[in-house]
Amino acid sequence: MILTLWVTGCGQNEQTAPAIKPPTQQEVGKTISQTPQPVLAQVTEKTRQTYQWYCAQCHGMKGKGDGINAKFLTVPPRNHTKAEYLETRTDEQLFEAIKFGGLSVGRAPCMPAWGHTLDEDTIHSLVQYIRELCQCQAL
Amino acid sequence: MKTLTIIIFSGFFSLSSTLASAGLLEDKNCGSCHRLNAEETEKSFTGPNLHYAGNKFQPKWLSEFLKNPEIIRPGGFINNPGFLKGDSESQPPHPSFPEEEANAMAAELMGLKITKQTSVTTEPLSKGQRAKIKYQFERTFSCISCHQSLNLAGKVRGGISGPSLVNAGNRLQADWVADWLSTPETYTRKGRMPHYKMDPVTLIQFTRFLMMLKKENIK
Repeated sequence: MILTLWVTGCGQNEQTAPAIKPPTQQEVGKTISQTPQPVLAQVTEKTRQTYQWYCAQCHGMKGKGDGINAKFLTVPPRNHTKAEYLETRTDEQLFEAIKFGGLSVGRAPCMPAWGHTLDEDTIHSLVQYIRELCQCQAL
Repeated sequence: MKTLTIIIFSGFFSLSSTLASAGLLEDKNCGSCHRLNAEETEKSFTGPNLHYAGNKFQPKWLSEFLKNPEIIRPGGFINNPGFLKGDSESQPPHPSFPEEEANAMAAELMGLKITKQTSVTTEPLSKGQRAKIKYQFERTFSCISCHQSLNLAGKVRGGISGPSLVNAGNRLQADWVADWLSTPETYTRKGRMPHYKMDPVTLIQFTRFLMMLKKENIK
């Protein structure tokens, strides 16, 4: 009995099992749906207001890194209109810098963590707003 | 009986004192810039909320401030139109009042309370604890980006968009500081400061650190 279970539990007899062919590329294309593309957060009026309310204190009203705190900081706030640096950062890195603070992504500790203040959707939309300000995307 | 009489009389005088100053804030039109009543709808006042002044301030500092106002928010108040433009000079200076009025107004303000707070010790931190919390103040929580503070050499440094903390130890009550750090929404619907979820030990140490900041320590 045990022998019977062992034999059937470990697979079928090779002699009786039908040969299984790997699927062709065409067949895979038919059955597997395309990988869903991430939906980019929308920049809304609320996003702009959020930026002005919180971020502009250091990054400035137009995102040029010239907010009222800027000249008192050890490390100047990021100029969000400069593509040279921002295109070297992924959206995920920008998201993490906002959510967990500058130190969490190896950048300046002057940038606080906003993860307990702003929800993730708002942070995603701020990332897109920064992309709008720099007129750039991650390389 | 004698004790009871003393209690009744002292209560009467205390009440008389309150009544004598009641309405002075209204007479001086403080409500045109400051929210004085918890029931009042929070709108864009051009000065800080004062409906919890009795929770927040130390009475001695309050009297002094009303006699000789000092600049607490170098960048101006957050609701002012010129705030983000660094145009704090367009904000009119706070009026000053003669001593008697200032004391009466301070007493009236100290009666404005909204919550019962938990009691926090103000025992100074050890040198090592102070260095640790200063590190967190500047690097972990980035407070220095928006608030002026004193470094270990006694020099003023820090951003100006938030109120200066250089004299926090003389100006604020420790219980309020701890409460503000843990539940700022109790006091204002929407500030410009990030919310933090500090663990209880850090919260108390942070409060004690801030209460050690006093302008007499400026070098």
